[in-house]
Amino acid sequence: MRYHIENKVYHVEILPPKQDSENLERDLDVFVEKYTRVMDSGYCACITDNAMGHLSFQGTEMIEELGLPVLPEQVMIHLNTFHTREDLDNILSYCVEKGIKYLLVVSGDGSERLPRLKPSDIGVQGTESITSVELLQYITREYPGKFVLGVAFNPYEPEDHEFAKLKRKLWAGASFIITQPIIEKNAVVDKLIAEYPDVPVIVEAWMSKKLHLLSDAVGYTIPENTEYDPIATLKLLHQAYPKNGFYLSLLGFKTQYDLIRDLWV
Amino acid sequence: MKIVVCIKQVPASNDAKIDPETKRIIREGQKAIMNPFDTYALEEGVRMKEKYGGEVIALTMGPPKAEAVLREAISAGADRGILLSDRVFGGSDTWATSYALARAIEKIGDVDLVICGKQAIDGDTAQVGPGIASHLDWMQATYVMAVDSIEDNNITVKRMHEDGYDVCELRLPAVLTVVKDINTPRVPTLKGRLAAQKSEIPVLKPEDIGADPDKLGLNGSPTRVVKTQPPEPRQTDTLRIEGSPRECAQALVRELKFRGLV
Repeated sequence: MRYHIENKVYHVEILPPKQDSENLERDLDVFVEKYTRVMDSGYCACITDNAMGHLSFQGTEMIEELGLPVLPEQVMIHLNTFHTREDLDNILSYCVEKGIKYLLVVSGDGSERLPRLKPSDIGVQGTESITSVELLQYITREYPGKFVLGVAFNPYEPEDHEFAKLKRKLWAGASFIITQPIIEKNAVVDKLIAEYPDVPVIVEAWMSKKLHLLSDAVGYTIPENTEYDPIATLKLLHQAYPKNGFYLSLLGFKTQYDLIRDLWV
Repeated sequence: MKIVVCIKQVPASNDAKIDPETKRIIREGQKAIMNPFDTYALEEGVRMKEKYGGEVIALTMGPPKAEAVLREAISAGADRGILLSDRVFGGSDTWATSYALARAIEKIGDVDLVICGKQAIDGDTAQVGPGIASHLDWMQATYVMAVDSIEDNNITVKRMHEDGYDVCELRLPAVLTVVKDINTPRVPTLKGRLAAQKSEIPVLKPEDIGADPDKLGLNGSPTRVVKTQPPEPRQTDTLRIEGSPRECAQALVRELKFRGLV
């Protein structure tokens, strides 16, 4: 992950088409276009896993069915706990086969339609539900040395609780951290960076003007009438966090993509 | 095994509107989905096929756009789909609908098992599955929560009721209606979805399935709906608890205990 920071490699989030897409062909074309653009730019494509509980196609099946190229430094797959054991192993095996080494391991939002891993599925005892910690342990145990594992950090959660959770995630095998989206310099993120100087921290920048979506994503209400310029904010975040990587969520490929090229100096 | 799964396209919205003249649900302009209970029926059929071999056929009756739920069924593991669609089918009640589906199942031939969701979320009658069994004169088990075994042309199932479950053994061919406790439906894969888009969906009319037109549509429907209206919204009490996290948690537990909920 240090490679990404040293070489100014943006992490660009890409959402696969939803399962209930009314125009799948078009949505697949859009995905291919975005993925190809990210590859051509030398950035890292970060493919979500049923983000916000919306049923979507998996990143690995998108790559497989659409025949997309995998450049190991340029692909990150999100993986949450809402899978059957069989699906989980299929995803992980495919990643190993294709050389996809970066995984962002999260608990996930889930949905009624998604099966959640049960403790017995992955040989865990003494807990009633699987979180990202148990999933990290499973991956490091069953696929030793195959992946570089990242975890999420939410600066909007109660601080003590979030730092305690992060400690368990790092103990379970995580080696880099991606924050929840921030829109300005954040004291909790500052503390995170100070407490873990040896762990790469990737700051997530919110690139949509729709702040109400950010409120939904982080569970922290941002006033509706807040003026927000994502590109200007990204510039400020670069100044505030010059030694960190950047994850761009909901980046506008038509209007913003060309503007970010020269921002990271 | 040859398994037929009956599915229905229903309005996605809970905010169903009813035509005051016909007393029927207005479907125009509503986003349509596969009846959620039918997704469990489909998953159970696909699991049986994976375990015992054979074929799963998704069957539906509806307007041409109902083809979409058949493609969805194919993307989730059905081998093929059949659509019953014709003006003559329009206005059928549960009796006429189950008659048409039964004739189609006979036309398919050599069917071992029919699986339906326990009910559709638009009509909420739970009558079509039993109606099919009645028209075919086959054994049936409703509210099935588990399939234990299939041996020697018999199927053993657990049938849910309020105090537990019954274990029932049925001779095949038979009809099952299933509840959502039976499984967790798989999410269709992209590969399945792309294959489903290319599948041919045959559209059958009454004459193709040997159905008597007088037993279809309004003519064949003994049900007369006198009055229909959406249920009143449920009354709920809201209690706002304020304070520190510890105080809130203590107050919440106190309240739940007071109401006998924990």
